[in-house]
Amino acid sequence: MSVVNYGTREITCKIVYYGPGRSGKTTNLQHIYSRLPEERKGKMVSLATETDRTLFFDFLPLDLGTISGFATRFQLYTVPGQVYYAATRKLVLQGVDGVVFVADSQSRQLAENIESLQDLHANLADEGLDPRTIPLVMQYNKRDLPAGEISAIEELDGTLNFRGVPYFAGSAVSGGGVFETLRSISSMVLSRLSAPATKA
Amino acid sequence: MAADSNKGAEDDGGEFAAFMADISEEIALRVESLEPPPKPKPEARKPTPVARDAGLILEWENVVDRMIEDIR
Repeated sequence: MSVVNYGTREITCKIVYYGPGRSGKTTNLQHIYSRLPEERKGKMVSLATETDRTLFFDFLPLDLGTISGFATRFQLYTVPGQVYYAATRKLVLQGVDGVVFVADSQSRQLAENIESLQDLHANLADEGLDPRTIPLVMQYNKRDLPAGEISAIEELDGTLNFRGVPYFAGSAVSGGGVFETLRSISSMVLSRLSAPATKA
Repeated sequence: MAADSNKGAEDDGGEFAAFMADISEEIALRVESLEPPPKPKPEARKPTPVARDAGLILEWENVVDRMIEDIR
């Protein structure tokens, strides 16, 4: 997809928040949305079920205004985490520039994290993107839960982060780590402005 | 590459402002260091080949005149 269009003087980046169901992807976007100044607040589109879980996807357009003469837009998406929404996840991943993997720190969710990560890799490969090189940031969310319920960061990182990408502890409900994560993935995506896209 | 999560309590607008500052710096750095894609050079005009029936073309006005005359 992206990124620089010299003709129209635009920079557009698509960032997808990926991860198992209920890991906090939508909460990340909601926190970002809540911190946007009024003049930058577009519409956050959220398609949720009655039980508040993402049915299709969330979409948050971030219009950052003109930077260095370029109209800059970030498009933030989440995917539905539940296993049975595989087709939707594939669709949302189309044209992605960077991925935030939001892992659930709860010890009992480790298998779901691994499954979701494998699903991400498979879908990226299907999209012709190399899972080993696409900009990726890990967020270990729900660090606010009692210590007895969550895995240590080192343990999570050792299991999930085989690429050794930047990782952040998160507590999306209170906003902890949300902007740090966004900043990191944005920086990684932008650093590829001059790099050719890598295909699998 | 560690992460400090719970300092998320930068003040409300400050979080976005700090993000914007970082991103602006990054973009400024990138777009300044990037050469815009080269514009395609205008193709040198090739001389119009003189066709075998070029004479007819040169006499076009006469042909038209003749056609009008015929119609009359």
